[in-house]
Amino acid sequence: MSPTAGWWRMNRLQARGPMPETITDLWNDLPVLAQDALVFALYLLPAVLVGIVVVAGYRPWPLVRAMLGRYRWTNLLFIALIAVSVGIGVGLTAQERGLRKGTARAAEKFDLVVTAPGSEVTMMMAAVYLQPVDAPLLSGEVYNEIAGHDYVSLAAPIAFGDSYQGAPVVGTTAQFIYHLSGELASGRAFATSLEAVIGAAVPLEEGDAFEAAHGVGASAEEGAHAGHAYTVVGRMQPTGSPWDRAILVPVEAVWEVHGLASGHAPERAGQLGPPFDAEYFPGTPAILVRAEELWANYALHSEFTRADLMAFFPGTVLAQLHSLLGDVRQVMSIMAIVTQVLVTAGVLAGLVILTKLFSRRLALLRALGAPRRFVFSVVWTYAAALIGTGAVLGLGVGVVATAAISRAVSARTDILVQSSLGWTELQLVAGFVSLTVLLALAPAFIALYRPVVADLSG
Amino acid sequence: MGRELTVSKLRVSGDHRRTLLSVDQLAIAPGQAVGIRGPSGAGKSTLLFALAGLAAIAEGSVHWGDTDIAALREEQRAAFRRRAIGMIFQDFLLFEELSAAENASLAGSFSARSRRGDIARRAAATLERLGVEAEVRSVASFSGGERQRVAVARALASDPAIILADEPTASLDRAAADRLIDDLVALAREGGKTLIAVSHDPAVHVRMDRLIDVADGRLVADEPVAGARADA
Repeated sequence: MSPTAGWWRMNRLQARGPMPETITDLWNDLPVLAQDALVFALYLLPAVLVGIVVVAGYRPWPLVRAMLGRYRWTNLLFIALIAVSVGIGVGLTAQERGLRKGTARAAEKFDLVVTAPGSEVTMMMAAVYLQPVDAPLLSGEVYNEIAGHDYVSLAAPIAFGDSYQGAPVVGTTAQFIYHLSGELASGRAFATSLEAVIGAAVPLEEGDAFEAAHGVGASAEEGAHAGHAYTVVGRMQPTGSPWDRAILVPVEAVWEVHGLASGHAPERAGQLGPPFDAEYFPGTPAILVRAEELWANYALHSEFTRADLMAFFPGTVLAQLHSLLGDVRQVMSIMAIVTQVLVTAGVLAGLVILTKLFSRRLALLRALGAPRRFVFSVVWTYAAALIGTGAVLGLGVGVVATAAISRAVSARTDILVQSSLGWTELQLVAGFVSLTVLLALAPAFIALYRPVVADLSG
Repeated sequence: MGRELTVSKLRVSGDHRRTLLSVDQLAIAPGQAVGIRGPSGAGKSTLLFALAGLAAIAEGSVHWGDTDIAALREEQRAAFRRRAIGMIFQDFLLFEELSAAENASLAGSFSARSRRGDIARRAAATLERLGVEAEVRSVASFSGGERQRVAVARALASDPAIILADEPTASLDRAAADRLIDDLVALAREGGKTLIAVSHDPAVHVRMDRLIDVADGRLVADEPVAGARADA
């Protein structure tokens, strides 16, 4: 069920008390598509009913066509104003949903993350979205405890802090690369501490060599790791996450370039990946953990949540964030409608003025014996045509705006945002149309009370 | 047998209750063609609007047969116009974006479903009779004479008993004006309709049965036109 459908249902329950059990059951038994379609129809119903009542028995269309053609540029301007306001409204809500889905998709591969105690949100931003952060390190003993746990199938250290031309250089293991990417798009995983695998969007080619800077962003120290050049040997598949712009190197290499132990005892110098020797393990800010079975993640979460460790599900943290943002989304949706209604109120005020330009012809209708209700239906249908056309075009504007904003957000955050208009937006537009065609009754009423003889005399 | 149009002790007021028109008595027989003339601002158009039930009547009555138009409510007056009145204006008042046929059958848009077919047929027949191309996409390209003929077809489409024309030839050149007034008078006479035409145009006056002079909101003369039909 869409958020709007849920909101509507919640409000109904609050306003009228619990629905009879049978109706609730009937509603809940309906497929989601049917629920969304029904809510859409319900939102559109006032517009349809008003239209039927206002137009019944008359044939205002030829005159409405004439009115639309008479001041076509002014009418197009009104339609454009409505379309842009509707487009921005639906674009924003679709974008918010797309961003939510995109961030969730980016965190999909991160089942369980273990870090030192602190802020789950901060560590999630660091480990999943590669945002720079200073984090305490986990020891080799902790790593081995996690990696050696019966339920654990993958325990990958994630060591960040270096970068190359803005792309984060992350130390990890080859297993993590395959976990993240599946099969590589090209090349192979690193086999020595001088090799690197790049994300799908990194502007390097296989065979390119580079030296990482110490730190990230403006404070990155170029040349700090001079003499340790990595060679690109593989490229990951696109993941739709900031990892597409990351360069993955052996975690041993990150330790080495910082003058630390390699993670392995001297007799196993040159080894990459687990097992690590606790005595020679310099530390890692985060460990990605994957359990053999889904249920085991919960056991691991429970086990590694203790005084010296913090285990969290990025998906859960994200859901909490989305829940908080959910209230903001409600406000955004309401503000979007209010903005659209304000724009339409402005347009309707313009219509009142425009109707004055039609006043001679409306007076002519009265002189020919047209009932007041016919004149009312002509003016209302004219306004409804502008509103309806603007709203439909607004959906098109929304599609274009959503695609453009998605591209911009994806480019800035490296989180693949794929937004599209859905039932929520259609329901939003249906509600908007109903509300505004009701407002359009006002200019129709005003047109009725114009002086016929004075208007006929021009 | 048509109905007579009679006006009695009529006073039409404008802003600040200023009297625009005062008519003590006036009777127009059915089928009569009546010209109304007088200087600008004399009250000619106000008389026309009063007869159509459009002007605010402060006192008196306007009877069409037994029906007192002045006593009708707004929607009843609209129904009266729909049934009994056809109006023609100096500047045509057509919907430029519509075809001649759509303009002429405009009344069909708000008339009962059962009347729509008749209105459309009558509009098409009158347009053909007047030599106007009915199906041209819009009347915007029409000459003034053609537009006024469309307006005549529109006035006759509902088969009204009374045609009220306000300066029907004022926007036309001489040739177009002559053709129009000939057609209008002929159509009115053929249909036995009462024609009341406000006009400054002597060519209109000579085609009428009777001429009424209006000045300062009063009827100052009312006489038959020389050579008018004996039965008028």
